[in-house]
Amino acid sequence: MTPRPVGGSHGVFLAGWLVGSLLIGFILAPLVGLAATQSPGVLAAVAAMPDVREAIGLSLAAAFVAAALASAAGVPLAYVLARGGFRGQSALAALIDLPLAVPHTVAGIALLLVFGRRGMIGGPAEHLLGLRFWGSFAGVVVGMLFVSAPYTVNAARLGFESVDPRLEQVARTLGVGPWRALVSVTLPLAWRSVMIGMTLTFARAISEFAAVAILAYYPMTAPVKIYELFLQQGLTQSAAVALLLLVVSLALFLVFRLVAQERVATGIGR
Amino acid sequence: MTAPVLEIERLAVSLGAFALRDISLTLAPSEILVLIGPNGAGKSVLLETIAGFHDPAAGRIRIVGRDVTRLPPERRRVGFMVQNYALFPHLSVAGNVGFAIRARPGAERIDVGRMLERFGVGPLANRLPHDLSPGEKQRVALARALASRPSLFLFDEPFAALDARMRETLRDDLRQFLREAKLAAIFVSHDQSDVHVLADRVAVLHEGALQQVGSVDAVFSRPANRHVADSTGVENILSGAAARRLTPGTPDATLCLRAEDVDVLPGGARPESGDGVISLDAVVREVVRLGPVARVTLDCGFRLVAALPRPEARGLTERTPATVRISRAALHVLSGVGAPGG
Repeated sequence: MTPRPVGGSHGVFLAGWLVGSLLIGFILAPLVGLAATQSPGVLAAVAAMPDVREAIGLSLAAAFVAAALASAAGVPLAYVLARGGFRGQSALAALIDLPLAVPHTVAGIALLLVFGRRGMIGGPAEHLLGLRFWGSFAGVVVGMLFVSAPYTVNAARLGFESVDPRLEQVARTLGVGPWRALVSVTLPLAWRSVMIGMTLTFARAISEFAAVAILAYYPMTAPVKIYELFLQQGLTQSAAVALLLLVVSLALFLVFRLVAQERVATGIGR
Repeated sequence: MTAPVLEIERLAVSLGAFALRDISLTLAPSEILVLIGPNGAGKSVLLETIAGFHDPAAGRIRIVGRDVTRLPPERRRVGFMVQNYALFPHLSVAGNVGFAIRARPGAERIDVGRMLERFGVGPLANRLPHDLSPGEKQRVALARALASRPSLFLFDEPFAALDARMRETLRDDLRQFLREAKLAAIFVSHDQSDVHVLADRVAVLHEGALQQVGSVDAVFSRPANRHVADSTGVENILSGAAARRLTPGTPDATLCLRAEDVDVLPGGARPESGDGVISLDAVVREVVRLGPVARVTLDCGFRLVAALPRPEARGLTERTPATVRISRAALHVLSGVGAPGG
């Protein structure tokens, strides 16, 4: 239940709205401006360009893989962090947040040193598995994953923390093992938070430019493509592609949020 | 004599700075043991250890003769009931009970519908837990626990979050259920009224060690030590000069006297001390009504508390003189661990 302002706190609430709406305007203005200045003709023209479609498709596919990998490894980690009570837990939580604090050009260079041709992981991976991170789809995914994984871990951790551990205990005494208790009780209850984390990771992955551009400028993701069009052909073309990417990613973001909400409506989550 | 449902033998559990020490306890079939003690005494830890959530450092736990000391919770067959009953919020009433049935597939298949009917919650089958009243939640939780065919029930302060009236209703329901189902149970509480309503026997835990186990009457009227006296709410714990006045023969004794064993007459009555009865002159200091009885604080050279129905009908109001009558049999000498200075 959301608390309502009571007993003379309306003034505080009103001031909050007034100041807050400045920020809302600041966020909305560029997006609305971008949409308002584009003619449908230019939009249709760039949407028809094969390299633009390819770049957007690549962004979506790589972001999807990054979100899937982030949840495959991040959800178990989130559970450990939520239920842990072990030494160094807060240090580990801070480490997870590190990619959010590091400038993404720094992240890109660091990733290049590790995943590049002579890197600690990049070298053996190319040698043994034929997997190349430099200038490849895998490189795009690695760049996206590094900067966006914390969102999944943090959201899922909050989700797990909100599930009373006694529910799992009671499930155990009713006769199920620890894995089944986790899968049939805790996970469904934390599911909404996990979904929100995945959605944020997906959105953040699509929007990543610097880390991806340094590790894998080619194949071109949509943000890199927009940057290149901006340098070579100016504002008009790049703005049209920018709007196209905005529409596609917002639509997907909304769909994911709706799926998460749907789970709430059916009583799953909180 | 039937074999005990639960046998705990010299159990020790270490959890960081806290430890349960040398716990031995048995529970007979269909017996209800209420476990009391102050916060932090280890009541919940003991229940969780019986349920299988902590590995004992030493000792054995047997349930219906089977050694379960090293078994995980899912193989111990205990019904574990916690505060607010921890119904699974994402599952319907039928889903909650069905969960328990599916968790223990057995020869005799329990029908969810019949189970719900038995507990009078059949019409609620499709409701989610947050739509249920506390009483309905308790019934669903009992149905769910019973569906997993437990050998005994463990209750960890299930009423802790409820108001007094709801608490009474649910406690009466629970007592009826436990009597009818003839299941043994350990019930953790820090409310003495739970003891009087539910218990066949009572156990008192303090700082990880059992202080006394016995019938309600024995533990409440003859507490083994100061900790038990505190946990059972003995109002008058007397030592020094006060104790010497009441029992001249035993120097340095610490005495326990329950408020309901102190009789108070108006000042003029002046009966003499005689066979088995001690009379003392006193002045009424305070009268506080606590529901059906009043707590009367008296000054008879030392402070004494009495519990009386309608003290004003006897002319006992603040600052009036009175005569206190105490049966010698009601005086209990405390000894051993936990006595003051010991």
